[in-house]
Parts: sequence; C-alpha cells; structure tokens
Amino acid sequence: MAIAETQAVPRIRARGSITEALGGFRLWWLVVPAFVLFLCFFVAPAASLFAIAFDKSVPGVVTFAGNFTLDNFVRIFTRPLYYLAILRSIGIAAVVAACALVIGYPLAFVIAKTEHPGRNTFLMILVLSAMQLDTVIRMYGLMVLMGDNGLINGALMSIGLIEKPLPLMYNTFGVVVGLVQVTLPFMVLSLIGIIKAIHPSLEEAARSLGATRAQAFWRVVLPLSMPGILAGSLLVFALSISSYVVPALMGGWKVMVLPIHIYQQIAETGRWQFGAAVAVVLFVTSLFAVFIYHKAAVRTAGGRT
Amino acid sequence: MRDESAIPLVFKLIAGFALLVLLLPLAIVVLAGLNAGDYLTFPPQGLSLRWVKAFLSSPIFLSAYLYSFLLALAATAISTVIGTLAALYLARSGSRAASFLRGYFMLPIVLPGVVLGLSLYVFFTTTDIGLARTFTGLLICHVLVTSPFVIATVTASLVGFDVSLEEAARSLGASPWTAFRKVTLRIIAPGISAGCIFAFIVSFGQFETTLFLSVPNHEPLPMAMYISLRYKFEPTAAAAGIFAIALVVLSTVISSRLVSLRRVFRA
Repeated sequence: MAIAETQAVPRIRARGSITEALGGFRLWWLVVPAFVLFLCFFVAPAASLFAIAFDKSVPGVVTFAGNFTLDNFVRIFTRPLYYLAILRSIGIAAVVAACALVIGYPLAFVIAKTEHPGRNTFLMILVLSAMQLDTVIRMYGLMVLMGDNGLINGALMSIGLIEKPLPLMYNTFGVVVGLVQVTLPFMVLSLIGIIKAIHPSLEEAARSLGATRAQAFWRVVLPLSMPGILAGSLLVFALSISSYVVPALMGGWKVMVLPIHIYQQIAETGRWQFGAAVAVVLFVTSLFAVFIYHKAAVRTAGGRT
Repeated sequence: MRDESAIPLVFKLIAGFALLVLLLPLAIVVLAGLNAGDYLTFPPQGLSLRWVKAFLSSPIFLSAYLYSFLLALAATAISTVIGTLAALYLARSGSRAASFLRGYFMLPIVLPGVVLGLSLYVFFTTTDIGLARTFTGLLICHVLVTSPFVIATVTASLVGFDVSLEEAARSLGASPWTAFRKVTLRIIAPGISAGCIFAFIVSFGQFETTLFLSVPNHEPLPMAMYISLRYKFEPTAAAAGIFAIALVVLSTVISSRLVSLRRVFRA
C-alpha cells in the first residue's frame, strides 16, 4: 500500500491547480450556465424585439407575423411628435451630462485628494449609498422638496419672497434635476481614479515654472483628467437617455422622452411593433452617442501626444 | 497637509453642493417618514412614528418590501453561483473566447432597462412558455441584470490572484477541489461577498426592467412606491423608504469593510 502511494505521487503532477486539473475542455463548463442563460433570455429576446420592430403594425397583436416593413421607422422619422422626442431626449441627456460634470468634478477632486483614510471612506460610503439607493425612493425626496406645495416653495412663500409657487417640477427643469441627482455618483466614481492617478509633482512642476494655481489646474490637471471626464459623461448620457422613471415622476408625463413613448405605445395603445421600433431607435441613439464620444476621446488623446 | 491645501475653496464649496444634491432627497424621505402631519410641509410639524407604524401594518407596502427582499435574495443566490463560475473561467482562460465573453456578459447593462424588460415580455408572450408576469420570469430578468455585477467584482478579485498558492497546496497533497476550496475560495471570498451585496442592492432597486414584468397584485417595493407617488403620494411610502435606506447604508458599510479587507490581503 505504502509503495503504491509513493508511486502514485509523481503521476498527480504537483504543479496542478484546479483549472489545470479540470483540463482545457472541462474548464468550459464553468461558463456554460451563465452563457446559456444569457443566450436564452437576453440574446433571443433582444433579437425577437428587433424582429417585431420590422413587422407590420397591428394594434393589440404581439405575435411575429414576418411581414417585413419599414413603416414603423418611417413613421418615427416623419412625425414631429416622435422625431422631436428623439431630439428632446438627446438634449436633456447632454444637459444632464454637463451639469453632472460641473458639480461632480469638484466632489471627485475633493475625494481623490483626501488622504485621511477615515474621512475618505466616509465620503465614499456617502456617494455609494446614494448611488445604490433605489431611484424611486430618491425621487420621492425630490418631489417633496420641489413640488408646488413642497418645502422649497413653502419656505420661499412663508418668508414672502414669492407669491405663487415656482414651477420646479412637472417640466424639463424637474427632469434635469432628477437625472442629475440619479447620475451624479456615476460621474464622481468615473473621475476619482483618474484624478488620483495624476501625480501631484506635475502640478508642482507647473507651479515652480511660474503658473498660478488656476493656470496649473486648467493647463495640467484638467487635460490629464480628460479620459475620466469623457467616460463619466458618456455613462451619464447613456443612463439619462434611457431613464423612464425620472421623466415619468419629475416630468409628470408632460416631458415626452423616448422611454415614455415606448411605454405609452405598448401599455396604452397596444401597438407592440411600433413600440418595439421606438425601443430600437432609443438603443441605436444611445449606441451612436457612445460612438461619437469614443471618437472624441480618441481625438483628444491623439491631440495630446 | 499638502493634500488639504491643494483643494481650492471653490471646489470645496461645489463639492459641498454636490453632496447636498446627493443626500438631501434621502434626508427628506427620512423626515417625511417620521413627520407627524399628513404631508411634509414647511415648517415641519414635529416627529412621530405614525407613518412607520402605518408601514408596518400596511398590507401593500410591507408585502411589497418582503416580496422585493425575497426576489433579491433568490436573484443574488443564483447570480452569485453562475457569476462566480463564469468569472473563474474568464480569469483563468487566456483564449480569445474569454475576451469575447467578457463583453457578452456586460451587455444587459448596456441595453436600456425599459428595452430589456420589454424584450423579455415580448419574448415570454410570443413563445408562450408560461413566464409572462410570473415570479420566475421576473427572477430571470433580475438574474440577467445582477450577474454582470457579480462577474465584474469576482473577476477583479481574481486578477491579482497568484495561482502558485493553489499549486503549493496541491504539492502538499491536497486534491484539486480541496486546494480550490481551502485556498482560492478563501482568498476571493471578500470579492464574492461584495459581488453578492451589489447583486442584492441592484435587484432590490430594479424598477425599469420590472415595469413590464411585474406579477399582478405582487408588486416589488419600487413599483409599489411608484404607483403611490403617481396617484396617491402617501407618507407610508416614505416610511417604507426609511427601511430601504437603512438596508442600503448597512450593506454599503459592510461592503466597504470587505473591500478594505481585500486590500489587507494584497498588502
């Protein structure tokens, strides 16, 4: 028995990890459950949604008939109701990305430069908690704050500064504020790492060459944080253009953006094919925006070197 | 001290404003849930546990909270298992398939939530496999959305992993499975736990994907709150929000502990 065991040892090959022991072929099995789940319930459904977008529109009918047509898309791009919604969605998302950048950059800067570990962790927990909290709950807070009888209008009226409530909500302004609130943490998190990676000696070098603090910031630190600025803006743009719940609550269905059109077409009029076509347009628009940002990012990086 | 002085005053002021934008709505929800009056008005009317009690005895909000909790637990369990397995493959296979799959698994995050929910609903309805507006259908959707977070977190914790540790265990006579369980799994456990918490929170807050998929009369919490906000605006919803905020803050504190634990492991 003892002899058999000592003989068996060299055959095991002491250098084997579990992946090696499983072998190249059997390692595949680890990824199979997730792969199959995604194939059946993500790729196939997305493909079927894209397919019915090219189907003839029959109200109330969702089954795929195979009558190929471009009518749904023609309708979207010829009716002002829909093509203006595309432009409105893009415009709102762009304004939100700009606002989130303007107030998010300083916050990211402060967090990146705070080296005290306790204070740093505390700030990160604040940002992460705000990010992870369900959007609907955060909108509840904003609606209590910004409504006609809300805290801001109530306070301003009770000190006699205004007589009628300011229109803070159920308009584009409210939607933008809501989206900035929701997307700000994503902007901050995209920026912290990049700002941290800029070596302080670069700024010091600029200062020692006679630059003022502002000049050192604008000409050294800000250009070096460009990758984070682009990544963050892109993320915020994509999140804003595809948000349904914020325009629904803060806009009160008066600010008609693409996700609201999609829901309305399907839940209220039962036009599945047309709703699917609007969904395809929304998806392609956000992909296109990603593409443009990517081009801009490459050009910015190219201009630097 | 150099780092403190390096922050311009303007930046500190704007950063303070940004924190206010982030946190004020949360504070308002807590105040509204603890408010004594029918609505939170200016000036507030004093504190009471009236709405918290209303939440604890509300059939709608309490059952929505429990439903969301159960759904998130189930989604977390499934996505943690399949996500960790997939991450092990992604981290250890150098093949071209792995880099393709890495992108493939991130796709559900790229597709807008409304579009993902709609495509699943259309798929369930047209194929008639009995999943439209069922718990299972909703669970599948949540697993799709939460898995990318598990895969990303666990892959990140495997990146710095030294396979020679596992090999050392093997050379000391451990079987591959024992070496994996006692060495690898222990070391990446913080990463898996953090992924788990992410998955839970993402599932608990899912609204847009759920829009077309929720089961009639069994709304998850975000859906129940949305309905209340659009049609009734009850402070009970704010009290439910307080419990959700407590859950999120607690899990963020725990996951931040896990992340720093991971740093300890690397040092």
